[in-house]
Amino acid sequence: MRPTLAVLAVVLAVAAGCSAPGSGKEESGNDSGPIKIAVVDAQSGQLSSLGAWELKGARLAVDEWNAAGGVNGRQIQLDVFDDQGDPTIGTNLARKIDSEGYIAMIGTAESAVTIAMSPLLKQAEIPNITSGQSPGLVATKSDFLFLNGPTSTTYDETLAKHIVDQQGIKSIAMITNNGGYGKGEHDAFLKALTSRNVTPVADQVVTADQKDFSAVLTSIRQKNPKVIFLGAEEVESGLIVKQARDLGITSAFAGAAPQGTPVFLDTAGAKNAEGTIVSSPYLSNDIDEASKKFAAAYKAKFNEEAELHGAKAYDGTQILLTALKTSNVATGKPLADAIRATKHDGLLGDFAFDETGVGIFSTSIGIIKGGKLVAAES
Amino acid sequence: MQVFLQTIVGGVSLGAVYALVALGFSLVYRTMGLVNFAHGNVVTVGAYLASTFYLSTKLPFALAMIIAIVVTGAIGLVIERVLRPLENKDFDLMLIGTIGFGIVLDALIIMIWGATGRAVPSPVPTAPIDIFGLRIRTYDLVVLAIAALATVLLVLFLSRTKRGTAMQAVAMDHEAATAVGIHVGRSNATAFMIGAGLAALAGGLVGPLLYVSPALGGALGIKGFAAAILGGFGSIPGAILGGLAIGILDSFTAGHFQGYSELVTFLVFTVIIMVRPTGIFGERTVNRA
Repeated sequence: MRPTLAVLAVVLAVAAGCSAPGSGKEESGNDSGPIKIAVVDAQSGQLSSLGAWELKGARLAVDEWNAAGGVNGRQIQLDVFDDQGDPTIGTNLARKIDSEGYIAMIGTAESAVTIAMSPLLKQAEIPNITSGQSPGLVATKSDFLFLNGPTSTTYDETLAKHIVDQQGIKSIAMITNNGGYGKGEHDAFLKALTSRNVTPVADQVVTADQKDFSAVLTSIRQKNPKVIFLGAEEVESGLIVKQARDLGITSAFAGAAPQGTPVFLDTAGAKNAEGTIVSSPYLSNDIDEASKKFAAAYKAKFNEEAELHGAKAYDGTQILLTALKTSNVATGKPLADAIRATKHDGLLGDFAFDETGVGIFSTSIGIIKGGKLVAAES
Repeated sequence: MQVFLQTIVGGVSLGAVYALVALGFSLVYRTMGLVNFAHGNVVTVGAYLASTFYLSTKLPFALAMIIAIVVTGAIGLVIERVLRPLENKDFDLMLIGTIGFGIVLDALIIMIWGATGRAVPSPVPTAPIDIFGLRIRTYDLVVLAIAALATVLLVLFLSRTKRGTAMQAVAMDHEAATAVGIHVGRSNATAFMIGAGLAALAGGLVGPLLYVSPALGGALGIKGFAAAILGGFGSIPGAILGGLAIGILDSFTAGHFQGYSELVTFLVFTVIIMVRPTGIFGERTVNRA
């Protein structure tokens, strides 16, 4: 008898748990109460620094709007969900934010998670502005998916142009990981090299949570390349650079967004990372007035230096809030259309979305000098 | 040849850390017959404590390590004390209890230190030693020396001291041990404390090699657990050999199988375990589970 009762109790609890969010959806659909926006990002696990930065950028934008009276007099409610960098958890969260009545989503910072969530969000008609940059995001062909930065193709094309065309360097080795981001970088950079008739002297693939790179680096050392391209996240890239210098490799490193972050710099050590070539749409906090203002506000609020990922999320959130304002707090397809129509002069550049959901198509080249990322003289 | 030797060198330094993690697993297992699933999280706590005292309060690295080991050892005692009522009553619940502790520790780590992690600069900032083109980091030698010292001390403790011998007796037959007046609970507590201390040692040492984040212990925990199994679960020399073997195996598969290295490492591991289910040093002192 008792197990039956227990099962009944569980069923009732689950049923109650399901009905509550359903009613919440109707609440946010009407014209009163706060506008519910979800931030889905890794708040724990190896990719949590990305998630933390993105949350800060989004929070800063929302707080600024709320302080100025919100959107159409309604406050914006920003709630954070931890996907742990895991696509399975991501898909569960996609269902959760749908049933709890969130009208838009910021995140995630990990392409693989966003790609997994995309079909569900499309079905639920929840517009999503991601920080991912994998070309795979565009391949999902969702009208509800927008990127708050360029894709890997843009990053790596700019990088190859600088290294091969301008510096005339042809002796290039590649180390990429087999995760969502690393795979995208591998394909995009290899394509950029191939189109310039350059064959990398080494094309090494590592796993996403590898810790020892002796074998890979020693075989690269024998090839003695001028530049080593890194297609891996912040921490892993930092470890590769640190171990490479310990092995006596003096080649310069090159990479996209992760190689411009403080986490990469700290993990590698400033001295080891010296001379790293970075392709990024946001090189530093003092490029123009807007970035100075953003960096000051970021520093005041979170007591740490702003960087690319916070800036991307800030831009993405500004675009979403602007679209909410222009569309008079629309939801679903009209909101997605409003986002697509939004032209935004952001920290990363002038956003103008095309039908694939990409709004920025250029990056700049920076060099790490004296522990700081500075614009390269070209 | 150079690649071959350099690969071994790279594998050995992480292997020594895996060995320390495996020692902690094995010590608790041989004494209680329990797999402490919170062990990986204790490694993370140790790494955070050591790096906090080293970076924030600017203590010398060795002193920071000692404080981390003491504090983490105390956490080990707490875990054992909470689980003690379950000893010999419900073994499954005890296992789940350690998983629960792991989750609690994970959450505490994120609450205290945040989710982002930190890089720890090497406490031995000298250039690597170069022997015929083979580069050996000085810090790796420090790690190896400390791991070797810890193992010797542990073996001496288990074989030469009264408390250690009592723990051995509990491991062999806990009912007989109780009959001759050995306090099983205290013996278990000591095992948990030393196990946690070893975890802190591993975590503290690996900090400057890797990156201290809440995810650190998960990766080390799995490799350390595999190392303990490979060497023969519960065996002290087995844990050392298993750790080094996993480290070197990992290093080689990374060079040859690239993106599939993890898969190959664990396939090889599975084959070895299938051929020799009790591991290299097939010692089965405990069979209470």
